[in-house]
Amino acid sequence: MLLAPNLKLFLIEVGDLSRFVGHFFQQWFKPRYEVAEFFRQCYVIGYKSLPLIGLTAFIMGLVITMQLRPSMVEYGVESQLPVIVGIAIIREIGPVITALIFAGKIGSSIGAELGSMRVTEQIDAMEVSGTNPFKYLVVTRVFASVLMLPVLVLLGDAISLYGSYLGVNIRSTTSSYLFWTQIVNVLSFSDVLPAFVKSFFFGFAVGIIGCYKGYNSKKGTEGVGRSANSSVVLSSIMIFVIDLLAVQITDLLGLN
Amino acid sequence: MEKKTIDNIKLGIFVSAGLLFLVVLLYMIGKNMSLFGDTYVLKARFENAQGLVVGNNVRYSGIQSGTVKEIKIMNDTTIEVTLLVEKKMMAIIRKNAVVSIGTEGLVGNKVVNIIPRRKQAPLAEEGDILFAKRSVDADEMLQTLSQTNNDVAVIAADLKITIQRINTSNALWNLLNDKSIPENFRVSVANILAATGNAGKLVNNLNDIVMDIKNGKGSAGAILRDSSFAKNLNEAILKIKSVGDNVDSLSHEISLVVAGVRQDINSGRGPVNALLKDSAIVIKLNTSLSNIEKGTDGFNQNMEALKHNFLFRGYFRKLEKEKENELKRQAKAKAEKN
Repeated sequence: MLLAPNLKLFLIEVGDLSRFVGHFFQQWFKPRYEVAEFFRQCYVIGYKSLPLIGLTAFIMGLVITMQLRPSMVEYGVESQLPVIVGIAIIREIGPVITALIFAGKIGSSIGAELGSMRVTEQIDAMEVSGTNPFKYLVVTRVFASVLMLPVLVLLGDAISLYGSYLGVNIRSTTSSYLFWTQIVNVLSFSDVLPAFVKSFFFGFAVGIIGCYKGYNSKKGTEGVGRSANSSVVLSSIMIFVIDLLAVQITDLLGLN
Repeated sequence: MEKKTIDNIKLGIFVSAGLLFLVVLLYMIGKNMSLFGDTYVLKARFENAQGLVVGNNVRYSGIQSGTVKEIKIMNDTTIEVTLLVEKKMMAIIRKNAVVSIGTEGLVGNKVVNIIPRRKQAPLAEEGDILFAKRSVDADEMLQTLSQTNNDVAVIAADLKITIQRINTSNALWNLLNDKSIPENFRVSVANILAATGNAGKLVNNLNDIVMDIKNGKGSAGAILRDSSFAKNLNEAILKIKSVGDNVDSLSHEISLVVAGVRQDINSGRGPVNALLKDSAIVIKLNTSLSNIEKGTDGFNQNMEALKHNFLFRGYFRKLEKEKENELKRQAKAKAEKN
């Protein structure tokens, strides 16, 4: 059976990851708290990611608007362009695109950083020197990504909407006030809050998978590259899985 | 250390910006859903909610003024919609306002429209149930339209037949093509005009007559307006009536007499009967009359002899003289009168 070894490996991976997550929650509540390192990680993970995410979000907003325009014109609802784009960005595109870019940038960097530390035995050295490496390296990073991704998503949404506003104004003219009012008029809490809440889970998935892959890195420098790569791939997949679950849950709760 | 502080400040700005966007977005949505600020509740009952959902907009004369708070099924035919309306509208919405469910645009979200009426009414208060107008459903509209289409098809078919008949009718086309008809028509109209003028004059004359009668002129006027005439007429009629009554009693008496006579005749008694029926009496009467005639002749001779007698001659002469005097006096009186 070809599938059997792979299935076994998969189940081992899932089990290890689950134990890693359990360990994270175990360590999270315990003092002492690495506050300074947490803020440093917030700065690196959040603030430093803003230009990249801002650029992609801006382009995304602009492009979606311009792509949708011909169809909207065809149906004679060009005036509803801000409404459609606004709902798409706030509900889905903003959180998912931001999380994917975040996974590409932060997931890989965490995976590579922790992987190289593991490979060069710095983590072992930390343990010897009496510092809890899990607390110092993993908890701060995961917690920082959990809190920073939602902020990045919100800013990404804002920039995306600005890009969309410019996109609308390329062919026709609308005032920023009308644009904004049109979007806000159709939005409800059930549009904004589920998207906001799921971005916490995206952040957690990216942080915990990057840390898990880096923390358990093996086989020298080759393993570092692999852990960086697999952390991006796995966290991207997880983002979509969480998105799927989120839409099902909001649907079940009747928030759609 | 310096760098770390700057980094923290940057991080603070970054996080604040993100949260600010979230707060503004949520506030705007909340404001749109009338969650902030003072609101009050109005209600309306519909037969059909037509897809209205909680959170749909409420508009007063097209102005955004609230949202749908609750949609409750009261019974199988009544749905109560609770509207959350901004408090500032409390001074505007009146009890007689009409509520209807409409659509934003042609295919947009449902919206509740509150439409004011011109008539005055007290202001609507918290919890008032406003009058709900049944709005036209697209489905119903199409059904009606389909019915109309069928009717139009029938009418068109009939119209087609009618037009075909008109087209094939020679008489009608002849009538339409006849150029003399307009001329005749024009003449007719002129005649009618003249007749109308005459009628006008006639009416004027009648008016004059009526005026005369009103003023009491002429015999008709006298009859209608003179009160003394009416009195005389009345008296005359009364007299005629009394004469008639007398005639009546007279004729009654005559009839009694006649009845008596008839009775005598029939019974064979009485003088009339004797006169009419007894032939002996007739002969006697004849001889009596001839005797009287003879007697009067004798008497005349005697009287003539008496006139010539000297004893009575003076008396007769005196008689003749008086007669002559009388005639003379009469002639004299006549002459004086003239």
